[in-house]
Amino acid sequence: MLKNTLLIAKREYVERVRSRVFRIMTVLVPIGMGAMAWLGGLGGQRMEQGVDSLAIVSDNASLAQQVQTALLSSDHPPRSVTVYAPATSADMEQVNQQVESHQINGYVLLDTAPDGIQNNPKWVSASSTDFIGGTEVHNAIITGLVRQALTARGMSDGQVDRLIHSAHVETMQVKGGKVTASDTGRSFAGAYALILVLYAAVLIYGINIARSVVEEKTSRIFEVLLSTASADELMLGKLLGVGATGLTQMAIWGALLVAFAGSQIAAAHGIHGLSSLGITKAELIFFAVFFLLGFYLYSGLAAALGSTVSAEQEVQQFSFILIAPLVVSVFMLPFVLGNPSSVASVVFSLLPPFAPIVMYMRICAQMPPWWQIGLSIGLLLASVLAMVWLAARIYRVGVLMYGKRATVPEILRWLRYS
Amino acid sequence: MEVLVQLEQVSKSYEEKTAVRDLTLEIEAGSMFGLLGPNGAGKTSTIRMIVGITMPDSGKVSLFNKPWSSASLHRVGYLPEERGLYKKMKILDQLVFLGELRGLGAAEAARRAKTWCERMQIADSLHKRTEELSKGMQQKIQFIATLLHDPELIIMDEPFAGLDPVNAMLLQDTLLELRKQGNAILFSTHRMDQVEKLCDSICLINRGAAVLSGGMRDVKSRYERNRVIVHYEGQDGFLSHPAIAEYKNYAGHAEIRLKPHADAQDLLRTAAANSTITKFELVEPSLEEIFIEAVGGRADA
Repeated sequence: MLKNTLLIAKREYVERVRSRVFRIMTVLVPIGMGAMAWLGGLGGQRMEQGVDSLAIVSDNASLAQQVQTALLSSDHPPRSVTVYAPATSADMEQVNQQVESHQINGYVLLDTAPDGIQNNPKWVSASSTDFIGGTEVHNAIITGLVRQALTARGMSDGQVDRLIHSAHVETMQVKGGKVTASDTGRSFAGAYALILVLYAAVLIYGINIARSVVEEKTSRIFEVLLSTASADELMLGKLLGVGATGLTQMAIWGALLVAFAGSQIAAAHGIHGLSSLGITKAELIFFAVFFLLGFYLYSGLAAALGSTVSAEQEVQQFSFILIAPLVVSVFMLPFVLGNPSSVASVVFSLLPPFAPIVMYMRICAQMPPWWQIGLSIGLLLASVLAMVWLAARIYRVGVLMYGKRATVPEILRWLRYS
Repeated sequence: MEVLVQLEQVSKSYEEKTAVRDLTLEIEAGSMFGLLGPNGAGKTSTIRMIVGITMPDSGKVSLFNKPWSSASLHRVGYLPEERGLYKKMKILDQLVFLGELRGLGAAEAARRAKTWCERMQIADSLHKRTEELSKGMQQKIQFIATLLHDPELIIMDEPFAGLDPVNAMLLQDTLLELRKQGNAILFSTHRMDQVEKLCDSICLINRGAAVLSGGMRDVKSRYERNRVIVHYEGQDGFLSHPAIAEYKNYAGHAEIRLKPHADAQDLLRTAAANSTITKFELVEPSLEEIFIEAVGGRADA
């Protein structure tokens, strides 16, 4: 039993690792990822820049001053903030013209109301969509108004500063019974990384395993194979072999990532080793566990689907079925990270098709009880084996069927005859 | 003689169709067994139950005097009707893989693969991929893959279908050679005329059931030699002889079917008295004719 499985796994592995596709993928994907990260970085910078030159037009010079100060001391201060206060109609004309000729992105129109409270600030720009970085402007206006109101009511600048700073909410997280500083950005990064890696692995190797099943069917070599090894051995061997190929590729990419994280280039961008990418050892282990289980579950599904078709072109048709649970998991991401212990999160983290990603997200967000992790892993393992069993049955029945693609009732009927 | 394959009352049905019905047969070591019948008669279904691709609904299959078990399959070489190889895999790797799967060590499998390829004169294709080879060469590789582990029982489903004449002859010679070494060979075919001289025993099946089975000579002896071919010069008056049931007369060449238990020697004497006979042959019925007679012309060909 074991010997045949290993022989088949070895063949799958050796043939795949030797193939040109493997070499191309191994080189191209890191280059592609690098390019994407670089482009993403560029986009991020654009976003952050947002509004980089603006004017403040107000009838109240000290209020305008406050807003200007708040803007310039924000996280991403604009390059220039011009103040027109109190503004004349000539000033208005000039500002409007500057906006139209794109010399400035826009201006804040801030006229004080008679009561000093009911103000109606306006943002004026050249186009309706031109409000990237709006939060910064918005926050600055509020800060400016509050400061203005408070100082007008007799608070000192220092008191106002302390009040505003103490209202900043710090995010904390309970980990291992201790309250520690949390970095939600990092949690997201881990979950996204798994989804990305799993998605890519399922797309590439799931389709790959389906193709390999179909190839054996169309070349009819599977009848020879089935006369020596059982369908279970064949399927398990195939899964292990293709899985080992996937892991080899991941290991190469992983090594590249570690090498990159520790390199000079990375250091220049403020990254020193893996830990500064925000990945802990425990998370890395869970990542590996859930990646493997998810990978094998989806590969098994791909093998079962592959066994139902008789031509390679048909493989494309079901790639959506393969990806669908992953897509659902992706949609659940914000919800699960926000509510890691809600009923829906717990249920989805136990359901095998969603478990790899959802449970891993929960682990990143807030450590779930051990029994839930154990149950999730147990259910995943059981469904991987069930999938192999099912795939093997369908594959075997395939010997008896020729030509057309089998329908589900047909497969069920034929299963009895094998 | 040792019995390698034994089927007892084996039946198999798919949907409403009965593929094999109460089939009983035995194959002895050192013999060539022909499983014959028209397309759809149940030959492939029978073979698949012997190699364990499907299980019989009822009846018993024994291999090497033991109830069927997958462990026995290492001693069997199976060439399916529709056969293939991995397209992108190198021939040597492929043969070694299939050899290992049947219990050979990698080094031994490689050694045998080389010997066989030299014997079949395709040694230079060992390091090529299947897709680079011609169809005839692929067929040779498939034979080698079937025979590499030196199986005691060789099962080939329609082995001659689609072979070019050179490969057909090569396969035939190889099979005869293997039989001489004591291996048992089971093959199926719907071309009965091709295999008459090859088989020691046969089983003729039609609609899933055995119509005739036994040793070739035994089967044939059950049917009379009632066909006569006469080449003559001169008068054709002997064609009205009472022993003749019907005849076709061509110029100097008559094909005659005799009445049951008719005296062919008397016909020869009558013919020789009136004409010059250059050939008088009492022909035994061909397998095909026997088959058609046995099923009463109801063959599902």
